[in-house]
Amino acid sequence: MKAQYSRGVLGVSRSLLLAIYSLFALFPLIWMIIISFKSDAEMFTTTFIFHPTLSNYYSVLVGTDYLKRFLDNLIVSVGAVIVSVIVGVPGAYALARYNFKGRESLAFTILSFKFAPEILVILPLFMIYQKLHLYDTYLGLIWVYQLITLPLLIWVLRGYFEDISLEIEQAAQLEGYGWFHVFQKILLPLIMPGLVSAGLLAFIFAWNSFTFSLLLSGFKIQTVTVASLRYVASDTVHYGYMAVAAAIATLPEIILALLIQKHLVRGLSFGAVKG
Amino acid sequence: MTESKDEQSGESSKNSSSKYMKIPIEVKARPYLILAPSLIVTIGILYPFVLAIIYSLTNYSFRSQTYHFIGLQNWVDMFSKREFWHAALVTSEYALASTGSELILGLGIALLLNRDSWYTRVLRVLLIFPLMVAPVIAVLIWQLMTNNAVGILEKLLNLFGLFNFPWASSAKTALFTAVVIDFWVYCPFVIILARAGLQSLPKSPFEAAKIDGGSAWFTFKTITLPMLKPILYIAVIFRLMASLQEFTIIYGLTKGGPGNTLMNLSITAYNTGFAFMRFGKSLPYILFLWLLIYIISQRLVKNWLAVQKAASGY
Amino acid sequence: MAHIEICNVKKKFKKTIAIDDISLDIKDNEFFVLFGPAGAGKTTTLNIIAGIAFPDQGYVKIDGKIVNLLEPAKRNVSMVFENYALYPHLTVYDNIASPMRSPTFKKDEAYIKQEIERVTAILGISKLLDRLPKQLSNGQKQRVALGRCLVRKPNVFLMDEPLAHLDAKLRHFMRAELKEMQSNFNTTTIYVTHDYMEALSLGDRIGILNNGKIEQIGVGDDIFYRPANEFIAKMMGEPEINILEIELVQEAAKFGLRIFNMDKVFELPRDVEAAFRRKVPNDVDMGIRANDIEISISKKSDEYIHGTVYSIEPIGNKSVLIIAVNDIQIRTIVPNDFSAELDSDIYMKINYKNAIYFDRNTKAFIFRHENEDLSEKVI
Repeated sequence: MKAQYSRGVLGVSRSLLLAIYSLFALFPLIWMIIISFKSDAEMFTTTFIFHPTLSNYYSVLVGTDYLKRFLDNLIVSVGAVIVSVIVGVPGAYALARYNFKGRESLAFTILSFKFAPEILVILPLFMIYQKLHLYDTYLGLIWVYQLITLPLLIWVLRGYFEDISLEIEQAAQLEGYGWFHVFQKILLPLIMPGLVSAGLLAFIFAWNSFTFSLLLSGFKIQTVTVASLRYVASDTVHYGYMAVAAAIATLPEIILALLIQKHLVRGLSFGAVKG
Repeated sequence: MTESKDEQSGESSKNSSSKYMKIPIEVKARPYLILAPSLIVTIGILYPFVLAIIYSLTNYSFRSQTYHFIGLQNWVDMFSKREFWHAALVTSEYALASTGSELILGLGIALLLNRDSWYTRVLRVLLIFPLMVAPVIAVLIWQLMTNNAVGILEKLLNLFGLFNFPWASSAKTALFTAVVIDFWVYCPFVIILARAGLQSLPKSPFEAAKIDGGSAWFTFKTITLPMLKPILYIAVIFRLMASLQEFTIIYGLTKGGPGNTLMNLSITAYNTGFAFMRFGKSLPYILFLWLLIYIISQRLVKNWLAVQKAASGY
Repeated sequence: MAHIEICNVKKKFKKTIAIDDISLDIKDNEFFVLFGPAGAGKTTTLNIIAGIAFPDQGYVKIDGKIVNLLEPAKRNVSMVFENYALYPHLTVYDNIASPMRSPTFKKDEAYIKQEIERVTAILGISKLLDRLPKQLSNGQKQRVALGRCLVRKPNVFLMDEPLAHLDAKLRHFMRAELKEMQSNFNTTTIYVTHDYMEALSLGDRIGILNNGKIEQIGVGDDIFYRPANEFIAKMMGEPEINILEIELVQEAAKFGLRIFNMDKVFELPRDVEAAFRRKVPNDVDMGIRANDIEISISKKSDEYIHGTVYSIEPIGNKSVLIIAVNDIQIRTIVPNDFSAELDSDIYMKINYKNAIYFDRNTKAFIFRHENEDLSEKVI
C-alpha cells in the first residue's frame, strides 16, 4: 500500500516538474508567435485575447529587406555546409584510415576550432578580409563558417569511416572496382546517416551564427541574426516587428527539427556515445 | 587506398629489376591528395590565430596606419588593469552558473523523460526547440517576455506583487537574466546527451540492483551516475568551453552593460578592438581567454579518457 | 587456373618484419595450404598475392608474369576474408552478384542470376538471397562469402581462415563440404589456416609459416611423419607429440638410447642406428606420438617403463592419459573404458620405430625409421 501511495505521489510530482520545465521551454516561443500577430493598437492592452492581424508580417516581409537577409543566411549556411562536406568527407576518411605522424594532433586541432573564441578569429580576419576584398562577401563568410561546420562533420564522419572495416574496401577492389566506384557504391551509402545528421546539425549551427556576420559583413550581406537586432536598437521599439523577425528567423529550424529530429539527436550524441 | 601511408617505404633492393618496386605515382600521391583539402582549410584557419599572436605584440590601432613592435607591453598593461580582472570574474561567473545549472537540471529532466509514455515521447521532440533557436533570437524572445510593458512575465510577476522587475537593466539582475537565457537555449543540449547516455546503458546492472533491492536513489548514485559520467563529461566540456567565451547573448542583451556588469573577456576584447579601435591592445584579452580554454579543454579531455575507462570497467 | 610464385618476398610494417624472405611455388590447379600460428604472416602473404599489400622486396608472379605493383582489380584473384567482409547494406543476392557487376568483370544480369542460383544451391543458401548480412548467422555469412568468391573464374582463390569463426561441429561439416567442392574447383587455391586438421585434410601440399619464414613445404604425410623441426611436429596431431630428451650411448660399437635417466639401454631401429653412426649427433631429442606408446598396468617386459598416473582426460571417443615419469609428463591415448587411480603405478612401452629424432640444440629433424607401408599409421 505504502509503495503504491509513494509511487503515486512520485508520479504526480514527476509530471509536475516536467510540466513546469516544458512550460518554461516552450512558452516563450508561443508568446513570440502571439505577439507577432498583435497589432500596435492592442499591444499594450491585451494579453491572450486579441484580434490577430497579419499587418506586422506584411510590414516586415514587404516593407523591409528582411527577406533578403533571410536569403543571405540561407546562401551562406548552405554554402558553408557544402564546402564542409566536400572538404570533410575526404578529411575524415584520411583521419580514419591513414596512420601518419601528427594525425591525432591534426584531429584535435580541427576539433579545437569549435572551441575557439569567435572574437579571436575575427579580430585578425577583419583586417585580412579588408585586404583580400573578402569583407562583406558570401565567400568570406562561407570560409569563416568552416570554423563552425567543419569540425562537426569531420568528427562524426571519422567515426563512421572507422566503423567500416578495411576489408570491405579491399574486397571491393579485388572484385574489380576502382577507388571511385568503391567510394560511391560502398562507402557513401554506409556513411550517409552520419552525413545527414552531421550536415543538418552543421546547417543549424551555421544558420544561428551571429558574431561572424556581425563583424565580417555589413551592408550587402547580413544574416537574419544580425538583422533582427535592428529591431531592438531602434528608438521606437516595435514589438510586433521584433516578434515577426524572431519568428521568421526561427521558423526553418523548427520545421527542420520536427522533420528530422531523429537525425539531429543522433548527430549530437553520436560522437559522445561512441567516444 | 588500402595501403596505409607508412607501408610505402619501398626499400631499394639490390635487384636489377627494382623498377618493380616503384609504386606508381598515382597510388603514392593519393593519400596526400585526399588529405589536402582538410589541411588547406586547417592552415587557412590557423593563419589568423598566428596573426593574432603577432599583432598582440604590436601597438596596432585602426587610427594609425603604421604600427610598431612593442613586445609584451600590451600584455603587461592588460594584467595591471582592473578591467581585465573584472572581465575574468564575469567570465567565470557566467560560465559556471550556466554550465552548472544546465548540467544538473538537464540531467534531472533527462531522467524524468526516461519513462516511456505518450507525453514523454512528444516532449522529447518538442524540448529540442529551444536549442534550435539562434541565441541572439532567444535574447529577442526573452525581451518580449520580460519587457515591462508587453511582457507576459511582467504580468505574471505582478500577481506575486513584483513590479517592474529590472531584468537586464539592473546590475544586480543582469547576470541572472543572461544565465537564464543561456540556460533556456542550451539545457536541451544536455538533455539530449544525457538521454542518449541513459539509453545506451546496459540493462544487467539495473536488473541485478532490483534483485538486490536497492532504493531508487541508491541505484542512481551507485550505478546510473558513474556509468553516465563519460557522456556528462562531454556535455560539461562543450558547455563550459562555449560559455567561457560567450559573446552573442551578452552582446544582444546589453552589449556588456549595464555599465560594465556583463563585460566578460570576449566583450571586452571586442570593445577594445572595435569600439576603441585599439587593435593591438584588444588581442591579449582574447588570447588569454583562448589559452585558458585550450588548457582547460586539454585537461578535461585527458580526464574524460580516464573517466571513460573507469565507467566501462563495470 | 594459374601458376603462382612468390620469390624472396620481404615485408616490414614499421619496425616489425612480417615476412622474411619467403618463396613459394604453387602449381596450377593446386590446393595449397598455408599453415602457421597466429601472427606468422599468413594473411600478409595472401594480401601480397592479392595485391592489397606491396612487398618491400621480391616478386609475385602469376603465370610467369611479375605482378608486384599490379592493382588488385587487374590481377583477377578472388578472396574470402577471415571476417567475411560482406557489404552490410546489400542483400545476399547483391553481395554475391557484386563481383560480376564491377567494371572489370561485368556480366549481364541473366548470367548473374544463373550463376548465383548455381552457387547458392551448392552452398545451401538459396533461401537467404533477400537477407541482409546482419540477419545472418556466422555459418551463413561464411557461406555467402564463399559464394561471392566462387562465382568468379579467377586465376587463384585465396581463402583466409574461412572456417575460423564457426563452432566445432559446423567447422567439421564445412571442411567436408570444402573437400568435396575442391575436387570440382579446377582453380589454383591458396588456403590459410591455423587448424592442422584442415591443413592435413584439404591440402595437396602444405607450407608451414612461422615468424615470417617458411619452415617446411610438403604433402601432408611429409609434414606429419617427417616434420622439419620440433615446432612443426608439435603443431600437428592431437594430443601434442611428446618431445623427450634422450641420451645416446655406445655399447659394443652399436648405439642405443637411454631415456629418463634410467640405466636400461633401449635398442634403436637398425636404419636409425646406422644413420647415427654415420654422423654422430650431439644432443638428441626424441619425438613420440601418443598413440605410439603402449600402456599396461603391469610390467610385462623389460621394455616397459614405470610411471605414475597423472591425469586421465576424456576427449570424445578416447581419453588422454598423462603419465608422470620423474616429473616429466608423457601424453598417451587410452580407450574410454580405461580407468586407473591417480598416482597409481602404470607402465608404458615406446614404439621406437615411429619415433622422430631431432637435434636438441637446433630443434631440426635428424632422422626417423622408414616404414615400408606408412598407411598402417593412424592419425
